[in-house]
Amino acid sequence: MLFNSLHFLLFFPIVTILFYLLKHKWRWILLFIASTYFYSAFYLPYILILYAIIIVDYFCGLLIEKRQGKVKLFWLLFSIISNIGLLAYFKYFNFFIDIFHVFVPQKLHHLDILLPIGLSFHTFQSLSYTIEVYKGNQKAEKHLGYFANYVLFFPQMVAGPIEKYSTLGKELRAKHKFKYKNISNGLRLILYGLFVKMCIADNLAPLVNEFYLNPTHYYSSSAWIALFAFSIQIYADFYGYSTIAIGAAALLGINLMDNFKQPYFASSFYQFWQKWHISLTTWFRNYVFFPLGGSYVNSFRWVFNILLVFSLSGFWHGANYTFIIWGFLHGLFYLLEKGLVKFYPETIRQNVFFKFLGANITFILVTLIWVFFRAENFDKAILVLSQCFTYGFDASLNLKISFELISMLVIFLLLEIAIFNTRVDHFFKNSHVIFRWTGYIILIISLLLFSGIQSFQFIYFQF
Amino acid sequence: MKKLFYKLCILLPLFVFCLLTTNYFYVKYYYWSNAEAIDAKLLFTQDSLENCSDVLYYAESSNATAANTDTCLQSISQIIDSLSPLKVNAVDHGAIHARTFLQLIKNLKTDSKVKTIIVTLNSRSFGSPWINSHLETNIAQANVMYEPNLPIFKRIKLSFNGYDNKSIQLRDQDLEKDWSSVKLNVPESFPYKTVRQWDNAMAKGTYLLPNGEWDMPKITLACHYIKTYAFPIDLNTNPRIKDFDEIVYIAKQKNIKLIFHLLAENVQYADSLVGKELVNIMHQNKQLLIDRYHKDGVTVVNSFELVNGLDFIDQDWTTEHYNQTGRLALAKNVLKYLQ
Repeated sequence: MLFNSLHFLLFFPIVTILFYLLKHKWRWILLFIASTYFYSAFYLPYILILYAIIIVDYFCGLLIEKRQGKVKLFWLLFSIISNIGLLAYFKYFNFFIDIFHVFVPQKLHHLDILLPIGLSFHTFQSLSYTIEVYKGNQKAEKHLGYFANYVLFFPQMVAGPIEKYSTLGKELRAKHKFKYKNISNGLRLILYGLFVKMCIADNLAPLVNEFYLNPTHYYSSSAWIALFAFSIQIYADFYGYSTIAIGAAALLGINLMDNFKQPYFASSFYQFWQKWHISLTTWFRNYVFFPLGGSYVNSFRWVFNILLVFSLSGFWHGANYTFIIWGFLHGLFYLLEKGLVKFYPETIRQNVFFKFLGANITFILVTLIWVFFRAENFDKAILVLSQCFTYGFDASLNLKISFELISMLVIFLLLEIAIFNTRVDHFFKNSHVIFRWTGYIILIISLLLFSGIQSFQFIYFQF
Repeated sequence: MKKLFYKLCILLPLFVFCLLTTNYFYVKYYYWSNAEAIDAKLLFTQDSLENCSDVLYYAESSNATAANTDTCLQSISQIIDSLSPLKVNAVDHGAIHARTFLQLIKNLKTDSKVKTIIVTLNSRSFGSPWINSHLETNIAQANVMYEPNLPIFKRIKLSFNGYDNKSIQLRDQDLEKDWSSVKLNVPESFPYKTVRQWDNAMAKGTYLLPNGEWDMPKITLACHYIKTYAFPIDLNTNPRIKDFDEIVYIAKQKNIKLIFHLLAENVQYADSLVGKELVNIMHQNKQLLIDRYHKDGVTVVNSFELVNGLDFIDQDWTTEHYNQTGRLALAKNVLKYLQ
């Protein structure tokens, strides 16, 4: 079920009303049924995969807590292999088969299966639980229902934010009373999330798709427009989803972590990764980078660790070399930046002009690197990049941007500037009543009149 | 809770007011451009034709597609119009089906000049390949525009995915499921009970060239005929049946004479490429449709075997595209029932 669907607009109010009508002790059953229904609406059979993850990690959690030494480690490894195994089978099998074919002439068949929506998200979330239990930071959950809801919780199950059990588990267990504040904040977040997804991302998607279909048909000016358009599209798409997810959870009184903090205003790559897909960055930092030694290793190893973590994070997104290159390039620029920063004194780094310059350079570089994320293969990515600089001698087309789209982008930019360092619900809450209601009306009218007429699935659903 | 209730009392009327105002601006500035953007142009076509036509001919691409070699490019509806004293116009668009016809017919005004409607009854459209076609999402989207609703509601439905927008992968999966599991109406002695079994058997070298190699173009075409025409029509679940049934109901309500035009299929090629078992299935489906709608009092023009195999434009695929001879034959056949 998509957030931007009539189905969800009907489903969610029913769940919310029932949630507050039910006694606390029964609510986990409602959330379990609602989450199962929500996921089954995509493709019914794949709910069994989620149930399998729940069962395996629930029992692994209990066994890890009870056992010591090698047996404890065995159950952790069992959980990791089960989760990563599922991911490898559904997501990476065909990719590995292709690599196998490079070395061995014998032909193996590709799997002709659908990738379960959001598999990378719920395996990573569930894995974080068993790892935390192993480390002794988290007590094993005895109640299968609550644990199931942690993996299944419908607002964030298919595209995050990836939450730790210590936070989401506590939220799911807490007794939530009906509060007007939660309802208004939740609705504000949902409204803004829908605007960002439907008016920005869905309007930019046709433009980007048109260009990427035949990049050589377009002038270099159009190539740059398409590159920036994708940069904004992917942000709006994922940010929109996360905002709706946080808003939907807030309506039920459940707090989810913020996944974005205006990443395109970041003045460096380091800052960018503190503001972009925060929950995934945190996951890789805690469960890959730190176990590799983190920063407490020699310089050579540290460089290796950084590049490995960024490349792995790229690979997490998809079974394609392009994603690995995307991650690797981010790691490379991160390292270059770290190296350069040492030459500039603190006073210069804090200077407003240099921050502004840094933000622009970071945004342009991030935009260029997105090409590897968007292109279907390496050759296409190089073709797109070359199109930006060759002035397209064979090109004959320009991408057309409507006045309405420009208006939407201006509203989006102004709101993003306005909510800098805060969140949209807090921003509206603290605004003057006239300004607040003008804002609501503009967002609603934009949704009614200017939302994308074609539907595009949330990009991160495929991961 | 009280605070929320009071707010709702103010907000709901305000919301309705906003909705109606937005609807006004939407119709004035964006409605038609939106309809064009999602290829729902028949909205204008029907609007402009219903006050100057006695008969409307609802069709997919079968009506107007012509061969490169045709000297006469008239569509079936234009031929009917030229041969009939009645004014006949077409509401046609490639790849559409009963659901689109239904929505359009619902939109016919009560004071419309139209007294008769002819709707193409394309037996191929009842099969799984068309029901699960990759074009279905776009057609479903356009159908939202054809629904007889307030324009702003249609816009909301489009924005919030209020139509069948299953992914291509899921559609393919449903199609494969049908091909592998739906039992065909074939004699007990026939070895292949599903499309998949039949198709696999056909693909394994039924046709050989004199040099001993497989005749791949012929095998591909034969397999395609099997996948396209070998299906049973379940009267209870087939979505096209539901749509055609509703068309019958709406036409009766609007007091409009309804004619179903059962389109010609290339039965000759089906016979020569695959065999009598496939032809039997095609005939079973044809008869089922004729019987069902005769029973409902609808005039069914049977053109099923009216066109010679060579008069189909696409010789290497299954379509209902006819050359000028074929179109003339069909038009004359319809004309008999119109007068």
